[in-house]
Amino acid sequence: MMIFSSLRLRLLAGAGLAILVALGLAGLGLGLIFERHIEHREMRSLEDKADELLAGLRIDQAGKPVIDNFPSDNRFNRPAGGLYWQVATPKGSLHSPSLWDQSLGQTAGTPSDGWATRRLAGPFGHGLLVIERLVRPDPSNRPVLVQLATDDDALLQARREFGVELVGSLAMLWVVLVIAAYVQVKLGLRPLLRVRDEIDRLRRNPNARLSTGHAREIQPLINAINGLADARTTDLARARSRAADLAHSLKTPLAALSAQSRRAREAGASDAADGLDRAIAAAGAALEAELGRARSAIARDAHRGASAPVLETVEGVVSVLERTEAGERIVFDIDIASGLEAPVAAADLAEILGALIENAVRHARRRVRISGEIASRQIMLCISDDGSGLPDAQALIAVTRGTRLDETGPGHGFGLAIARDHVVATDGTLEMGVGVLGGLEVRVGWASGTGREPHTSG
Amino acid sequence: MRLLVVEDDPDVGDDLLRALGEAGFVVELATEGDDAWFRGDTEDYAAVILDLGLPRLDGLSVLRRWRSAGRDFPVLVLTARSDWTEKVEGIEAGADDYLAKPFAMPEVIARVRALLRRAAGHSSAQIRIGRLTLDTVRMSVLIDDRMIRVSPLEYRFLEFLGHHPGKASAAHLIAEHLYGVADSDDTNAIEALVTRLRRKIGPDIIETRRGLGYILAGTA
Repeated sequence: MMIFSSLRLRLLAGAGLAILVALGLAGLGLGLIFERHIEHREMRSLEDKADELLAGLRIDQAGKPVIDNFPSDNRFNRPAGGLYWQVATPKGSLHSPSLWDQSLGQTAGTPSDGWATRRLAGPFGHGLLVIERLVRPDPSNRPVLVQLATDDDALLQARREFGVELVGSLAMLWVVLVIAAYVQVKLGLRPLLRVRDEIDRLRRNPNARLSTGHAREIQPLINAINGLADARTTDLARARSRAADLAHSLKTPLAALSAQSRRAREAGASDAADGLDRAIAAAGAALEAELGRARSAIARDAHRGASAPVLETVEGVVSVLERTEAGERIVFDIDIASGLEAPVAAADLAEILGALIENAVRHARRRVRISGEIASRQIMLCISDDGSGLPDAQALIAVTRGTRLDETGPGHGFGLAIARDHVVATDGTLEMGVGVLGGLEVRVGWASGTGREPHTSG
Repeated sequence: MRLLVVEDDPDVGDDLLRALGEAGFVVELATEGDDAWFRGDTEDYAAVILDLGLPRLDGLSVLRRWRSAGRDFPVLVLTARSDWTEKVEGIEAGADDYLAKPFAMPEVIARVRALLRRAAGHSSAQIRIGRLTLDTVRMSVLIDDRMIRVSPLEYRFLEFLGHHPGKASAAHLIAEHLYGVADSDDTNAIEALVTRLRRKIGPDIIETRRGLGYILAGTA
C-alpha cells in the first residue's frame, strides 16, 4: 500500500472512483429516461392508430365487434408485420391480419377511462408493447376491450444503440474529469510545495521563518511551524547560554582550586599539588573548548543580517593587546578604511580578530600588520606578522582545535582554531600563507553582499 | 608597596593576599564592589587587582567611577569571562591589563610588577613640548590638554623624543632604545609606529628630518 502514501495519488484515486460512480448512476438514469421517452412516443403513435381503429368500431346484433374501416398502416395487414390490434367482447373478437392465427393476451382490470400500457410476450417470439382500454361504442351493450401492440424489437435496438453511445460518451467524460481532477489536485497541492521550500530554508537558516500569506487552510500549519521554530531557537539559545554561563561560572572555582594547590604545595604535598594542577589545566582547556563551541554556535545563528565596523573592532582589540607583555613591544600597522563593515555580529568579529591578532602578536618580532579591503566582491581582512611564519604542516595543525603550537606563550593556544570555527560558522573563509612582512599571514574573507563599503580611506 | 585586591571568592582572595604578600607587597582585600570603590576613592594604592564579577557593584562600574574621579593607579582586571568584547570594554573603562581566570599566581605577580614598573621612575610628573604633554605618571599623552590613548610602546617613543629636544633621532637609535637591540628591519617598524602615532595625535606633532630622523615639533 506504499502507493497510497502519496496524498496526490489518494486524492486522484478517490476522485476517479467518485466520478466513475457518479457517471455510472448518471448513465443508468439517462438510459431509463431514454427508454421512457421512446415508450411514450410509441404509445402516442399507437393511440393515434387506436383513434383510427375506434372510428370504425361498432357492435353487431349478436354482440360481436365489427370494424368498418381498418387502420391504414400496412403493417397491420402483413403477417407478423410488427403492428397489431385486437378488439374483443364476450361474444367474439376481431384482430388485425398481422396477428395471423395468434391473439393478444388479455388481463383483468383494464381501465375504461384511458389507455393502459403493459409489456407482454407476443406472437412470433417477440416482446410487445401493448396499450389497451375498455370502450363502449353503444351504451346499451357491454364494453369492448381494444388492444393495440407494437413489436419492441425497434425499442430494444434503439436502447442498445443509445446505451453504446452513452457508455462511450461517459467514458470520455470520465477521462476528461479525471484529468481535470489531476490538474485540480496539482494546483491544490502547490501551496504545500511552497511550504516545503520554506521549511527547507528554515532548516538551513534557523532564524528564517515561514512567510505569511499562505492559503487560509494552511495558515494554521504555518503558524504552528513558526511557533515550533521560535521555541526551538529559544531553547537552543537558552541551552548555549547555560553552557557558556556554566563554563564561566566554573572558572572562579578553578582559580580557587589553584589556590588550594598552592597551599598543598607549601604544606609539602607537592605530588598532590602537581596532580591538582594537571586537573585544573585539563578542566581549563575543556572549558575554553566548550566556550569556543558555544560562541561559534551563537555566531552561526547571529551573523545573518548583522554587520560590524572593522576598524573600530581592530582598534579595540589592539588597545587590549598593546597592554599585554607580548603586545607592548609590537607596532600595530593598521590599514583599514573607516566605514568598512564585515557581515558578522560585532562580538563575533571581535572574537575572530582577537584570536588572530593575539596569535600574530605571539609570533611577531616587531610588527603586526592588519589590513582590510573589498576585492572581487569579498571583504578581505589580512593579519600578518614579521615572525618566522608557519610551515604548511604546522599551519594545518594550528587550525585544528585542541592543538597548541606555542606552549610558552600566553593564552590557551586555540587562537587559530577558534578563529577558524567562528569564520566557518559565519559563512566566511580562512586561508594562511606568507605575508608581506615575511611571517604568517591569515586572510579572512566574507562575501560582501551584506557588509557596508567604506566611505573614506583611512 | 600597597596593593588593593578586590575579589569576592574567599579562596582566590586569600591566595592572592598570601602570594602577593610573599612577593613583598602590602595587600588589602575588599570583597564587595561598593567597599572597593570607597577604598580606592579614599586611599592611595600603588596598584589594584580588580575582579569584575562582584556583589553589590560590578567591577567595571567601580573602575569607571575611579577613573572619572581622577583615580589613576594602575588596575589589573581579573575575570571569569574571556570574551574579546569584554576585554575591550575593560580597557576602555580604564583598565591597564587584563587576566582571565583561572590564572597562574606567578603570572599575576609578573603583571603587577610590570604595571608598577611602567608607572614608576619619573621624578617629573609632566613633560610639555608645544601642544604635546606627556604625563609620565599615568603614561598618557595630551594634545592641547585633550587625552589621547596611546600604547606603552608609542608612549616610550614620544618620551624618547621628548628627552631629546632640538635634535633629530635616527630610527635605528630609537629602535635600540625601544627594543634593546635593533637591526635594519626595525627601522621599518619605527616608520609604521610613526604612521600610527600620527593618526592618533595628528600629523604635525612628529616631524621627519630627511636623512636624520624624527623630532618633536616646536623643539628645533
